[in-house]
Amino acid sequence: MEVTRREALRSVVSKCVPVATAALVLPEARAAETTSQPKAPVGMLYDATLCIGCKACVVACAEANDLPRDVSLDGLHQAPEDLNAFTKNIIKLYKPHDQSPDSFVKQQCMHCIDPACVAACPFKALWKDDENGIVAWEPSRCIGCRYCEIACAYHVPKFEWDMINPKIVKCELCRPRLAKGYEPACTSVCPTHAVIFGPREDLLSQAKERIEQSPNKYFENRVYGEHEAGGTQVLYLSHVPFEDIGLPDVGAAPIPARLNWQKRIYKFLALPLLMYAMLASIMKKNWIDHRREMREEEERTGLRPQL
Amino acid sequence: MTRSRKPKTTVAAHLKRCGVPRRDFLQFCTQLMVAAPWGLAITEKATAAEVAREIGQARRPSVIWLHFQDCTGCSETLLRTSKPDLADLILHVISLDYHETLMAACGHQAEAVLSQAVKDNAGKFVLVVEGSIPTKDQGIYMKLAGKPALNVLKDVAAQAGAIIAIGSCASWGGIPSADPNPTGAVGVDDIIKNKPVINLPGCPPNPYTLLGVVFQFARKGTLPELDELHRPKFAYDRVIHDHCPRRGHFDAGRFALQYGDEGHRHGWCLYKLGCKGPDTHAGCSTRHFNEIPDVWPIGIGAPCIGCTEKHLAFRVPLFDHVPIHDATPPDTYPPVHVSTGSISSAGVGMVGIIGGALGGAAWVAARRFRSSEEEVAIIEANHRNSQKDTPDVGGR
Amino acid sequence: MKHVIVRWQRGVPVYALPKITPFFVFLCGMGALSIALSAYREWAGLGPTTGMNDIYAWGIWKTFNTMVLTGLGSGGFSIGIAAWIFSRRDLHCVMRTAVLTSLVAYFSGLVALGVDVGRPWNFYQVLMPWRWNPHSPLLEVALCMPLYACVPLFLENTPPLIERWYYTWPRFRPFMMKHLVPIIRTTYPYVIALAYALPMMHQSSLGALMLLGGSRVHVLWQTPFLPLLYVWAAGFLGYAGVIGVLMVACISWKRPIDMCILGVLGRIMSWLVLSWNAFRFLDILARGQIGAAFALDRFSLLFWLETLLLIGPSVYLLWGDNRRIPSRLFQAAVLIAVGGMLYRFDPTTLAFTSRPGAVYFPSAIEVLIASGYVCLAMAAFVLIAKYLPILPAPTSAWYDMEHYARVVHPDWKMEIHDLSHHNRPNLAN
Repeated sequence: MEVTRREALRSVVSKCVPVATAALVLPEARAAETTSQPKAPVGMLYDATLCIGCKACVVACAEANDLPRDVSLDGLHQAPEDLNAFTKNIIKLYKPHDQSPDSFVKQQCMHCIDPACVAACPFKALWKDDENGIVAWEPSRCIGCRYCEIACAYHVPKFEWDMINPKIVKCELCRPRLAKGYEPACTSVCPTHAVIFGPREDLLSQAKERIEQSPNKYFENRVYGEHEAGGTQVLYLSHVPFEDIGLPDVGAAPIPARLNWQKRIYKFLALPLLMYAMLASIMKKNWIDHRREMREEEERTGLRPQL
Repeated sequence: MTRSRKPKTTVAAHLKRCGVPRRDFLQFCTQLMVAAPWGLAITEKATAAEVAREIGQARRPSVIWLHFQDCTGCSETLLRTSKPDLADLILHVISLDYHETLMAACGHQAEAVLSQAVKDNAGKFVLVVEGSIPTKDQGIYMKLAGKPALNVLKDVAAQAGAIIAIGSCASWGGIPSADPNPTGAVGVDDIIKNKPVINLPGCPPNPYTLLGVVFQFARKGTLPELDELHRPKFAYDRVIHDHCPRRGHFDAGRFALQYGDEGHRHGWCLYKLGCKGPDTHAGCSTRHFNEIPDVWPIGIGAPCIGCTEKHLAFRVPLFDHVPIHDATPPDTYPPVHVSTGSISSAGVGMVGIIGGALGGAAWVAARRFRSSEEEVAIIEANHRNSQKDTPDVGGR
Repeated sequence: MKHVIVRWQRGVPVYALPKITPFFVFLCGMGALSIALSAYREWAGLGPTTGMNDIYAWGIWKTFNTMVLTGLGSGGFSIGIAAWIFSRRDLHCVMRTAVLTSLVAYFSGLVALGVDVGRPWNFYQVLMPWRWNPHSPLLEVALCMPLYACVPLFLENTPPLIERWYYTWPRFRPFMMKHLVPIIRTTYPYVIALAYALPMMHQSSLGALMLLGGSRVHVLWQTPFLPLLYVWAAGFLGYAGVIGVLMVACISWKRPIDMCILGVLGRIMSWLVLSWNAFRFLDILARGQIGAAFALDRFSLLFWLETLLLIGPSVYLLWGDNRRIPSRLFQAAVLIAVGGMLYRFDPTTLAFTSRPGAVYFPSAIEVLIASGYVCLAMAAFVLIAKYLPILPAPTSAWYDMEHYARVVHPDWKMEIHDLSHHNRPNLAN
């Protein structure tokens, strides 16, 4: 059979276009996986060996953020048990039943370098500042889907379950105070400087210095947050295992890296469009056959064909 | 005690004449300041020297001390100091014109002293009443020189400048008023209604409370601020529990459970042994007795019995617990992993019902399929049998 | 009346049965209750009405009504691919049931999703691409699912309606034949292709949602292939759902059951299930997590429960004649459906942990709202099946319906076909 020019062109196109698209798109998609780093990330260094559990940071945070009284414990006293819709910062106590040492731990947002919550949020309500890397929440964009709560490995974002206009509540490193040149409230009141504020690099080197000066004082002689989940801007030093003070072993890969294949597949919507094109071309061919059969059936039975 | 028609000298002059060392007087004034750190005009925000000057300028107050149904403990407390000199000093700074236990006179002489003292200092003397007054059967259960105590009190009180009821017995009836109160014992203010009566309950109360009030009256002519039970606020406005040195043990949950056990020996809180501190207004926790630090009931390991309070002392059993009026805020730290969420039984019930309904529906459907299969098998058999008769027609 | 060998050939509405039955009233009542409770939930907030908390932030509305039930309602997509892309012509007659099931399942799931979000007034941002976070799987679901439900799925469901109008609304017929039908004819293949492309995207994105759960999802479920496993599971769940719907509808409304076609569906479903299970096992082995399957904790028990519920009935159905016996096919399909639903539900809740001491169980209101929306979906299906020619039946049933319609609705211009009119083939073969 003679191959017409049109048919030849069509067959070439139908084979080359997918290959070319894939070849062009995938490297591009691979490159897009690396997320941008903040230019001058700031953070906190919390040294659990220095913390005395005075809870001045809890009080200062509540005051600086104008939070309502958290009386969730007994309805009377301000003694929150966990981060929640009224508490952005909390001191907890790890007290083992045996004679091994106990430790206080300060919990708040870790301000990850590549946050899972930011990757999760469908409308960028949780966003990371390009300059200082603070992860903040924007109320006008949030739809209250709580995907951030699912994604966060540290269980930081909290939802106002009982409100008709619920917010996501979490530490935002006192952005308004930083804008005025102050430190975050918690670091500014700590009497023992257990938690300090500063650029992440400085804090990291300071933490490493402390480890060097007192070998075997700190757990595994390392800083938590240097590499965990791709690095966090809030760093931890502890004398007890990190797991015991609520810092899970999340590995060195950032959590959004798990979406890399999704990003590759959906880059430029190329592969979905390719899939659609393939399906549409098959459908077109089958549709012609189907219409022919419908006509035959109509002739045979006299009934209108059903689609 | 000498009869004197001359106006009383000042305290300072009298002390000088008697050769009482100034250091002892200053020490006395310091004790007074400890007893009344605020709420008393002569001691408030003053140094010991300033207090000494104030009291020194006061005319020696005339004090007439009446005993009724008492144990004399309140008198004892006045004089039961750590140093005998101080006891003497007390007797020098006030003019104790009538005191049945301490005066030398007795019998008719004593009666004469009383009437004379009342006449000489009418309208100016401080009447201190110790002990409750029996009221049953016209008060015949206590008589002074043949006169019922009731009448003695009324007569003397009519002339008094200030009336102080010292001790729980005089304040509200004390031990004699304990059930069944056979003598009808009552406190002074149940009898004297037309004059202000200052109650200084306690069994016994701190002596410097009395002295503070007396000197305030002597120097300024005024009485300190009183609460609704006519107790001076500077001494009775707080409960023991709020100023107890063992409060930290209470808050931390460390209690002595038995006399002599480890907790008791470590000085832990005595609440579980029946301490009435949380419900007792008194100053014993900060002003100890006999001027020896930590000499007070809880300090030596004996739970407070609430001796100042009418509803507690000699009424509520010693080992009974009293309610806590101001709960201590929880000073706890939450654990790292807090339990979150709860399982509602209504939810479990609903899921159970729906799951059961769906499972039941599936089972019923399966059964109907099975019975329809049997139908089909029968039809199939019939169909095979009747195959030869009718050609199968697709339809009908 | 039952026939020994039945072949489904076209869709026929459920006629001669009352439209309003006690069961239908019950379904509508449950639906009304869930609407009322949803209003209460909007007013009172999520805290008082649900059992959700900050650790288990997703309750059964997102995870069950949306993630699981739309899987069960993926028949339009999975059977459609077999019927249209792979040209299985015998499956065309069940397509209408499949797409109607999909329609009611998707709309019910989307409404549940709407009730679940805490700040729905910001949802208008779906229309503003500059506000999108293109990497978020939830955005992909939020865009793709409503688009699918409202455009291709809805359009796929319009032919039965137009068909009804053709008979019951004679004045509409000329417009229909002159304008509507040609448009449908030209656009239909592209609509159908979209109806298969879009579910591939969002059903896999439903799986991608739990990728971000990271190590909170137990290792027996958490895999980079989660999107693929989810869309594959949607595939066989769609089959199970449609098999179940068809069989229950036929037994309830006393319609003939075509075990040949159902058997075909059962066979395709079984192969999909077995190959899926093989892939899942290989994936667990490759990740080195097979030990967790034998850990004798609740996760391994769940895993084996899923596996048994899926593998057992699938092998059973492939054995001999089992899939052509109604009760056996039905029971197997139910078990496979339960197993598949359990698989899609586990990574979100039962196999989703975080720290000791956190529990979640739906509250009564949550369960009522969830089941109420399912009841609404069922009520819609039941009502539509009684009005429109959806459920498959042999052509003889159509003729019976024509006779019935002529008596009851004389104003309809239904052409009545006689048995002797045309060359009648032996449809029993």
